[in-house]
Amino acid sequence: MTIAELVMSASEAAVGYSSDECLKCNVCVTVCPVARVTDLFPGPKYVGPQAQRFRTGRAQPVQVAGIRIPLSPDVTVDYCSGCGWCTTACPAGVKIAEMNSQSRARMKAGKRPRLRDWGLGQTDLVGQLGVLFSPISNWALANRPIRAIMQTTIGIHREAPFPKFGRRTFQSISKRRQRRRGTAAVPGPDRAVVYFHGCSANYYEQHLADAAIAILKRNGFETIIPEQVCCGLPLISNGIYTEARGRAHKNLDVLARYARQGYRIVGTSTSCTHTIKAEYREMLDIHDEDAAVVANATWDICEFLLDLHEQGKLDTGFGRLDEDLPYHAPCQLRSHGIGLPAMELFALVPGLRAADMDHDCCGIAGTYGMKKEKYPIGMAVGAPLFEKIRASGATEAACDSETCRWQIEKATGTRTRHPIEILLAAYRVADAVDRAGREPLAAAGA
Amino acid sequence: MPSADVVVIGAGLAGLSAAIAAAESGARVLVLAKGHAATHWGPGGIDVAGIPAALTPREGIRRLADQPGHPYAILGDDVAAAIGWLLPHLAAGGVDYVGDLDTPLQLAPTSIGGTRRAAILPAGQAAALSPWAPGERLVVCGIAGFKDFWPEAISASLSRERIWEGGNRPASVSPVSATLPGLAARHNLNALEIARRFDDPTWRGAAIEAIARAIASAPGSGGRVALPAVLGLREHAAVLAAMRQRLPAVPFEMPLVPPSVPGLRLYAALRAAVVRAGGRVQVGEMIERVESDGRNVTAVVSAAAARSYVVRTGALVLATGGIAGGGLLAERDGRLREPILGLPVEAPAADDWLAVDAFDPAGHPLERAGIRTDAELRPVAEDGTPVFDNVRVAGSLLAGQRSIGERCGDGVALTSGWRAARSLAAVPAGHAAAPGSERP
Repeated sequence: MTIAELVMSASEAAVGYSSDECLKCNVCVTVCPVARVTDLFPGPKYVGPQAQRFRTGRAQPVQVAGIRIPLSPDVTVDYCSGCGWCTTACPAGVKIAEMNSQSRARMKAGKRPRLRDWGLGQTDLVGQLGVLFSPISNWALANRPIRAIMQTTIGIHREAPFPKFGRRTFQSISKRRQRRRGTAAVPGPDRAVVYFHGCSANYYEQHLADAAIAILKRNGFETIIPEQVCCGLPLISNGIYTEARGRAHKNLDVLARYARQGYRIVGTSTSCTHTIKAEYREMLDIHDEDAAVVANATWDICEFLLDLHEQGKLDTGFGRLDEDLPYHAPCQLRSHGIGLPAMELFALVPGLRAADMDHDCCGIAGTYGMKKEKYPIGMAVGAPLFEKIRASGATEAACDSETCRWQIEKATGTRTRHPIEILLAAYRVADAVDRAGREPLAAAGA
Repeated sequence: MPSADVVVIGAGLAGLSAAIAAAESGARVLVLAKGHAATHWGPGGIDVAGIPAALTPREGIRRLADQPGHPYAILGDDVAAAIGWLLPHLAAGGVDYVGDLDTPLQLAPTSIGGTRRAAILPAGQAAALSPWAPGERLVVCGIAGFKDFWPEAISASLSRERIWEGGNRPASVSPVSATLPGLAARHNLNALEIARRFDDPTWRGAAIEAIARAIASAPGSGGRVALPAVLGLREHAAVLAAMRQRLPAVPFEMPLVPPSVPGLRLYAALRAAVVRAGGRVQVGEMIERVESDGRNVTAVVSAAAARSYVVRTGALVLATGGIAGGGLLAERDGRLREPILGLPVEAPAADDWLAVDAFDPAGHPLERAGIRTDAELRPVAEDGTPVFDNVRVAGSLLAGQRSIGERCGDGVALTSGWRAARSLAAVPAGHAAAPGSERP
């Protein structure tokens, strides 16, 4: 074991030492959406590989000859939104975004997190309470004076997008359905998948979970909905790794049982699925067999549907949707490295004119754009995207990630849906045409 | 598994030229690249053959084509056509180029106070190329607080006769510095930040006034003014037009250390042309390996999150660059390796790696290392027979060139990319076109 490994975890060393590959070529700086709009963030190279050589790898600041050496030589790393574009563009393979996330966590380790940052990470707690008191919580979040107080006291920007809490969690809806149906035998992994709904579908967008169930069923897959908690990404983004590891282990315990039986895990939140695929291992340093088995079994839902299509197994009986559809690919989707599966699926829908907005980031970056001091940055990052969507004149837009959808909807007033909701609408058009075609015949026959 | 008719690996000038041409011919094209490199590092011009013995690029091509094994031996006749094909695509993306193969090579002054031979440059740099009139002055204008461009050092160097090889040069070179709004107090200024500020018409107006005042403080009148290459990113044409109108000297940009703003403009225009032609570009893809049936590559595999990303393909253009771009890897045992297909690499023996003066005008033997191909750009084995039927090699990965020393890298890249795509389009259905026909 090297000295570095004594003070750093294995993945911290792997990420941290990737800075040795840095050529200082500044390519990362050219693609950074945050550096594009603000002087507060000097860019990924400066706070990442450039600052890395000064980092001690210790958990606490040290005193050297009476001088306090801080954990990060550049505290502006907190202005990194974690979008990951820098890592994507680096020609030398430096893990810049990951390095920045880790040094932010180091910076915050040992200190009590800000109430706001801690709270933004507690998606389950906030979700449970929000749903429990949904009439009150939805009223409060729409109430301007209350939002102004929230901005001053806890630092969540008054204009930041917040979705409405549902009246029940999707977990409880699904349990009630299961009780009603009774215990039927679960089909095998060739005819069923595990659905990872994530916090958004559990607390806010129950209709999305229903859309996932419907679209999977249409393609021959029953849906298994096991107990699950937040994937942990909001905690990772806010530098609270220890709690994030707790969430990860809870999910892995449940999901690994299914993955070992050959079930695939399909998610509608592209950031959750990326967290399970990559960040449990790369960021949270969980390297047991469960993490590997689950990562391998996890699919983003559009990736899953496109895979079915490539095997000739997707029901392509889509009805006609005669509309323009601006599409935004979330940053987390790019980190999957799977291209834009939603765009390929849209191409199968007759009449649908889907257009990739080809913009780097909407600015919300999970919880980044909700924070008082970062909200204006997020809005500036997303501004060209909002402008393009407004200019398209479309009545709805599509995006795979929930926080991006909320941000786009809030900024543009354009209804923004998950790609599978669009696909489901196309199936329903086909069904309606079928019924319309059958009914006169049935009437004539009678 | 997603599929394409043509997968291009690499998003430099060669890869993107191949992608545009292939998409134009109707193929479904996917560009996979691990990141950005050559375009973002380079000066944004199109260097075809800037060798001292040649008066024009065309003559340079002819001389290089006579060298045994030089890529121009098989590409030379097509360079003019390839440039004629590419430049309108770039113009459609807002980047105009000036010059052609018969434009005399001139010495363009550089931002380290040297000169380089060039004939085809983006409009923003092109004013550097016309011959200096008797008495014509050059003003070098820096930006206060910007550390990538030192007007005093540049002027001192450009005032020396030998930098201009004893030929035509400005009558005087003098440095000035402009203080632009809001920049002087910054410590971390890079070229891109300033370029983005120039995109804003209000800021631009004030900045141009400040530059005009700085130029007025230099001795003499008229002539030309060299500025760092920061004159707008998306609105470059508008910035240039405003400057030409307002400044008391004809402005031109000097390319800088990376991030190269002219290079970013070039990349944006190339990528836009790929997308317009119906192709796709995915960056951040680390290629792990390919699958093949022995004669043809059938799929390209990249390392995605958790699983491999497998793209079935009818053909492959390998435009991964040379040693600097990662297209060739140097092993500790003194061998060069082509990491994606494991192609045979033509390279000097390990002893020669260290045998010469690094600044030998004849160049370093490693520079010419690369992949040997046939006239169709198919990679070949030592006996000259193609290793794969549906693979084409393009750009600085091609053996036999000294892309920097001979200033031929851009000409080889775009011509080989264009030719690779045309060669694949000529492959009968059953290879390149088959996967597309399987789709509804």
